Amino acid sequence: MSYVRGLKCRECGQAYPEKGVHVCETCFGPLEVQYDYAAMRGKVTRESIAGGPRNLWRYRDLLPIHGEPKVGLHSGMTPLKRARNLERVLGVRELYIKDDSANYPTWSYKERVVSVAITKAIELGYDTVGCASTGNLANSVAAHAAEAGLRAFVMIPHDLEQGKVLGSLIFNPTMVRIKGNYDDVNRLCSEIADKYRWAIVNVNLRPFYTEGAKTFGFEIAEQMGWKLPKHTVCPTAGGTILPKIYKGYREFINLGLVEDNQPRIYSAQAAGCNPVVEAIRAGRDLIKPQKPKTIAKSIAIGNPADGFYVVQAVKESGGWGEDATDSEIVEAIKLLARTEGTWTEPAGGTTLAATIKLIESGRIPRDESICVCITGNGLKTVEVVVDQLALPESIAPSLDAFDALMADRGTAVAAVSAV
Amino acid sequence: MAKVQKRVWLTFGNRNLVEKPILWRMAREYPNVSFDIRQASVTAEIGIMAVLFEGESGELATALEFLKAQGLTVEPIEKNMIES
Repeated sequence: MSYVRGLKCRECGQAYPEKGVHVCETCFGPLEVQYDYAAMRGKVTRESIAGGPRNLWRYRDLLPIHGEPKVGLHSGMTPLKRARNLERVLGVRELYIKDDSANYPTWSYKERVVSVAITKAIELGYDTVGCASTGNLANSVAAHAAEAGLRAFVMIPHDLEQGKVLGSLIFNPTMVRIKGNYDDVNRLCSEIADKYRWAIVNVNLRPFYTEGAKTFGFEIAEQMGWKLPKHTVCPTAGGTILPKIYKGYREFINLGLVEDNQPRIYSAQAAGCNPVVEAIRAGRDLIKPQKPKTIAKSIAIGNPADGFYVVQAVKESGGWGEDATDSEIVEAIKLLARTEGTWTEPAGGTTLAATIKLIESGRIPRDESICVCITGNGLKTVEVVVDQLALPESIAPSLDAFDALMADRGTAVAAVSAV
Repeated sequence: MAKVQKRVWLTFGNRNLVEKPILWRMAREYPNVSFDIRQASVTAEIGIMAVLFEGESGELATALEFLKAQGLTVEPIEKNMIES
């Protein structure tokens, strides 16, 4: 049974049927999925969720589909790790890492939004899906479309690095390399989305796509034992995930699935592209567009589509925004790797670096529960750390050479006798 | 010549731009391009408008270039479509 009751404009309230539209025809405000929460009460329970599949579709009652899920049957339910080593380093009592660097099949949180969008695209009768992306979104759309047997168009700037292109090309989408600067490519993609009857997942399917991000928050709550962290720190790029994690928390609270501990949510951005954090600091709701300049390219969006709603969620929750310089981002990537064994991309480094600054500034108390949202995998962005890690010298294949190396390094080595 | 429509966000990014009658100037300069403000939020420091423009394709593009040349940010209603 589906609890979806159509779409509604977030600004003027105009109602729309479920179809591939994303902005209100009257005020151009964004559309959002409406659910019948009253009908869910008593039916959507901890038990009904726990009895579902071990993937993101265990929350399907709170997702905008009617039939069976088509893709994403192995996506979601990523690790929520108690980060005890990091707790000691940072001097905090209770710290968790929600780790979507382990999300299948393309190792980022995008699996969540794309699984929902592609399932919805099939329900709505589309045979072609697409996106404009420089990385994780393209990877995920290409992979899920391949599994679903849909035609996929991936539009990219022509000068994108080969490594980023391969992660999509391997799934055999139709890739369109567009000459021009970022603004040219963006404008053309908007015109393509207008003209062709394709499901551009983050454009005309955006109301459905963004709902998939709620599952990140649902999983945090369920994996913490049906409770919420007091503080959740989340990266902000286009502004999809943060408001939806917060919405997910509020839905669970309103359905009585978790206690309302007044969870606070915090936005993390790179200092070289911080339009949302800048607005939060200035006490503004409106976002001033920026030209990005940061190594955290996966979150370098100068005028985020949902930036306004990030600011609203942060303000409503009592959270805050913090940014991190490129060197702080790299240090945080290395810290997370050496303490918790998780290698994240710069977006994750940004989130951890921002968390550290929020703790040090006293915005996040050291004795309350904290969850750091890791949304992507470091293996896709090796270039940001390749110059930061010294390649060790090589030695001759002899025990003497090894012993000499140990002595050089001052490493205390206990000789072990053969038993 | 067939008319086309464009839905865009205009951002007036500072006080100087907020206090100038830029849309009025555009209307004088390009009288055949019409505009319809569907949503606006304006403070002393920043103004953002959702606007529907309509006109002949070439003239409409020139009018939008005029707005950019005045310092406005002109973006598709989807804003940044290109995600990582």
